[in-house]
Amino acid sequence: MNQRQLAIVSVAIVAIIAIAAIVAYAWWPSHRLQTASQPLAAGKAQVGQPAPDFVVSTTAGLFDLAKTDKPVFLEVFATWCPHCQRETAVVDRLYQKYKSEVNFVAVSGSDTAIDGTSPASQLDVLNWEQRFNAQYPVAYDATLGVAGSYLQGGFPTIVIIGKDKSIAYVNSGEVSYYDLAAAIQKTLR
Amino acid sequence: MGATKGAMNATVFVIRIVVGGLLVVAGSLKIGHPVELAAAIAGFRLLAPLAIGPLALALPYLEVLLGGYLIVGLFARVAAIVACAQFVVYAAAVASAVLRHIPAGCGCFGPNDSAVADWPHVAFDLGLALASAFIAYGAPGALAIDRKLRSV
Repeated sequence: MNQRQLAIVSVAIVAIIAIAAIVAYAWWPSHRLQTASQPLAAGKAQVGQPAPDFVVSTTAGLFDLAKTDKPVFLEVFATWCPHCQRETAVVDRLYQKYKSEVNFVAVSGSDTAIDGTSPASQLDVLNWEQRFNAQYPVAYDATLGVAGSYLQGGFPTIVIIGKDKSIAYVNSGEVSYYDLAAAIQKTLR
Repeated sequence: MGATKGAMNATVFVIRIVVGGLLVVAGSLKIGHPVELAAAIAGFRLLAPLAIGPLALALPYLEVLLGGYLIVGLFARVAAIVACAQFVVYAAAVASAVLRHIPAGCGCFGPNDSAVADWPHVAFDLGLALASAFIAYGAPGALAIDRKLRSV
């Protein structure tokens, strides 16, 4: 093979990779990447109980509960949930104030996307994060494992886990900044 | 003169192996983990979610391909220029995240890479960009397929 032929083959390989990625992406929400489709069960998380371990890939990198040495602020949310959409402003304020002392992580916990009908996907979660300007780390959980362990009552469920890895606070729905700040302060004491 | 040229060729070859090897390893570790890579790319808040998907799927293979070209010395100059541009883009993305106080994860070496975007990463990427620029300057270096192609 001469230099010209090799150059053509090289360009063809790059083009094939790019086209394959775009084609795969066209199937992404339902085929290429796993979608959340498992039925939701109420979690068993209770205040005072050990926090179930979980590992998720967030927009700020890998989060492993077992490896963190700070308290954890966990929000289990659904993109379609208006309470979760409004709560982003509250969580953002808390994140700006406590991010050096507390690990924040929001994990998707519904099998339904923001339109209320199509299946949840990572694209749906990333769109949600940008649309509602969530500054804190957000993770898409295709297995709904975190929701299975922590969801209580409804979306969003907010859980604060102490340094000792026990659950210090659980609440659901739209919770005020002051209530959550007080709960965080209590955990930091 | 001959000795200087020989040393230059050997140096370019070594840097080609190091930079190419790094790209092959980084790309290989990301293959099969598009969800994690998409999350990491999204963390930089520079691209629209619609663009992140195809990029997360294609980038690992393109990195492996680019690294492979550098290692074997095929189109070494072009590959080095592309690698240089890529590392400059990475450095700029990491620097922008640091400057905006965004908690972005690096995601450089696959889903188990827990490194966060910080100034040492910017320096590392700029170092790799400089190394790539050096390869482009002295290409193809020793033991390169480009040499064989020229002599055909």
